Amino acid sequence: MGIETENKEIEDSIRDEAKKLLSENQVDVVIGYSQGTVPLSSTMVIIRKEEDVDKLVWNNLCYINLARYLAPLMPQLCDSEGKPLKIGIVAKGCVGRAINMLAVEKQINLENIKMIGINCNGNVNRSKIDLEIGEKEILDVSISGDDIIVKGKDWEKKFPYDQYINELCKICQVKSPSATGETCVGECQEIESIHDEFADIDDFEAKSTEEKWEDIKNSLEVCTLCYSCRQACPVCYCNLCFVDQNLPIWFGKTTNYTDIFTFHLIRATHIAGRCVACGACSSVCPVGIDLNIITRKLEKIVKERFDFTSGLNAETLPPMMDFKMEDEEEFMLEED
Amino acid sequence: MEQKILKKDEIGKLYKEFESEYNFYAPISQKGNIVFEKIENPEDIVLDYLNSKIPPKSVLFPQMEVLFEYTLDEKDVEITDRQDLDQKILIFGIRPCDAYSFELMANFFSFHGNWEDEIYLKKKENTTLIGIGCNNPRTTCFCTSVGGNPFNKENMDVFLTDLGETYLVEGISEKGKEIVNKLSWLSDAADKDVKKSQELATQAEESIVTKMDTDKIVSNLETSFEHPVWEEISESCIGCGSCAYLCPTCTCFDVIDETDQYNNRGRRIRIWDTCQSCLYTLETSGHNPRNTKIQRCRNRIMHKFSYYPTNYDLLGCVGCGRCISVCPANNDLRTILDKIEKIEKEEDEKIVA
Repeated sequence: MGIETENKEIEDSIRDEAKKLLSENQVDVVIGYSQGTVPLSSTMVIIRKEEDVDKLVWNNLCYINLARYLAPLMPQLCDSEGKPLKIGIVAKGCVGRAINMLAVEKQINLENIKMIGINCNGNVNRSKIDLEIGEKEILDVSISGDDIIVKGKDWEKKFPYDQYINELCKICQVKSPSATGETCVGECQEIESIHDEFADIDDFEAKSTEEKWEDIKNSLEVCTLCYSCRQACPVCYCNLCFVDQNLPIWFGKTTNYTDIFTFHLIRATHIAGRCVACGACSSVCPVGIDLNIITRKLEKIVKERFDFTSGLNAETLPPMMDFKMEDEEEFMLEED
Repeated sequence: MEQKILKKDEIGKLYKEFESEYNFYAPISQKGNIVFEKIENPEDIVLDYLNSKIPPKSVLFPQMEVLFEYTLDEKDVEITDRQDLDQKILIFGIRPCDAYSFELMANFFSFHGNWEDEIYLKKKENTTLIGIGCNNPRTTCFCTSVGGNPFNKENMDVFLTDLGETYLVEGISEKGKEIVNKLSWLSDAADKDVKKSQELATQAEESIVTKMDTDKIVSNLETSFEHPVWEEISESCIGCGSCAYLCPTCTCFDVIDETDQYNNRGRRIRIWDTCQSCLYTLETSGHNPRNTKIQRCRNRIMHKFSYYPTNYDLLGCVGCGRCISVCPANNDLRTILDKIEKIEKEEDEKIVA
């Protein structure tokens, strides 16, 4: 079955479930993806009426993690008496993981949430395509069979889908949300644990410490500190980010390399064991920085040390938020 | 003949003419992003770019800039002002929309003449612009709706047109005409070259698909500060600062003192700031007049299309479309302005009904 056919099926199932939930008053609104206005994009949409469900799409350009909108939106989505609305949310695997994480960390109340689970077939790697097309305007991106078709004014280019999706999508093992019972409709599953391969960072790991340093330094060189990565991250929800602390200032905010590096490294450390591997941080970066290398390396350490994968259920605390008296600390000063 | 011809393989020769006298900035590709950088090797220059990722405002108003440095002893503070403001700057390959943005920024940095930001204004005064027409405007471009044009030569000193094999060179300002005269090795342009450049200009202008009624938008904004449309407009925004950082007319900055207490010295720097950041308006008292995303999203639009017209009788947008193409949440300015443009119509319909 081609990607194009899969997309049609996923899209239909999203619309059907959304329509059903809205018509049966199981939810008041549905948060999903709608067609973007520029190629290689989609945008978040809040569906309030049954007849609007056809605005919901699935087109492999749905890279924003919708869970990111939940916590700030929930206080706003209330009826006239201030009672919270029931929210349906289109959930690919990583959205489901993020929702679980937010529930574990008591940022959201799952009672009012229904995930419309889908069996995600990946998202297009925007920066890779942008980089290969270069200074020619992309006018349209579509999926035909198993290819990504990118069109410009008088040119057309084909990219094989399996090679041009996000690196994280290639190795993803949680394609549909890990949730059961009341919370989930559509494609959902119960996952106890996953055997994550971390093949995506093999190349990075094979490098020497100096090479790794150079690699990261090199990739962060173009960072403009716009904080899109932080803003798109579903588990970066602090009201006041450490980098914004200004009474007194905690960290430099200049474009000096040390400041940029400090921001990214501390942000990554903050989400260690909490990252849901959605890759939104890299997908939204306006200058195409691949931040996954840092976050995935940290996830690998967490997996090896604590055998923990984030967001598989809505109960287990991530290792950095939990402790046991018998925890060993022998690794604290090790070089990884 | 006023117009000259520059062959495409003569860019290096042109660079050599200027490199000793000017800090020569031009668009280069940095990991796939077009940015204006000081050129070391003219072969790096990319002129057939669509729109630079980082606007050339970064040359005159860099993301981080030292305002002055100071040293302290037991009694005194000694301040060292910037010594490099007299250096001549040349920006090569700038597009008309970005060249115009320098004029808008100068309005802010001179604040109706009541106050002057010497650093920006001196640099601008010492800057020469050798710009290039925009043969292929993007579908996100809308300069013609905000008073611009892909071949607007007004703010340039020298204007180039990419004719395919060669560039047509025209001196625009007095300074620019002198420059062109000095480049005696340039060959004269033929009538067909000039004709072709005019055709390209017409084609480019006609190819701009985004059209908006900015008068209507400005007038609607005057009465819609509290309109519910802002809620809808801000819904998908994730609150990053890409739109403002990559906007050629956004001028906001934060001022920070960096103190090196071990060596009794320090420096005051300014860094780009954005009204999209929650902290931007946080007051010392703890009160934050723009505490919500709705207020912050509204501010960006109001600033460009309402406050700026009120203060300077100009639109605060050059129509480059960067905020449209970089927005990670695809919160498209065109859609936003369209909603604002339609506000009155909808209400009229209601009255009729």
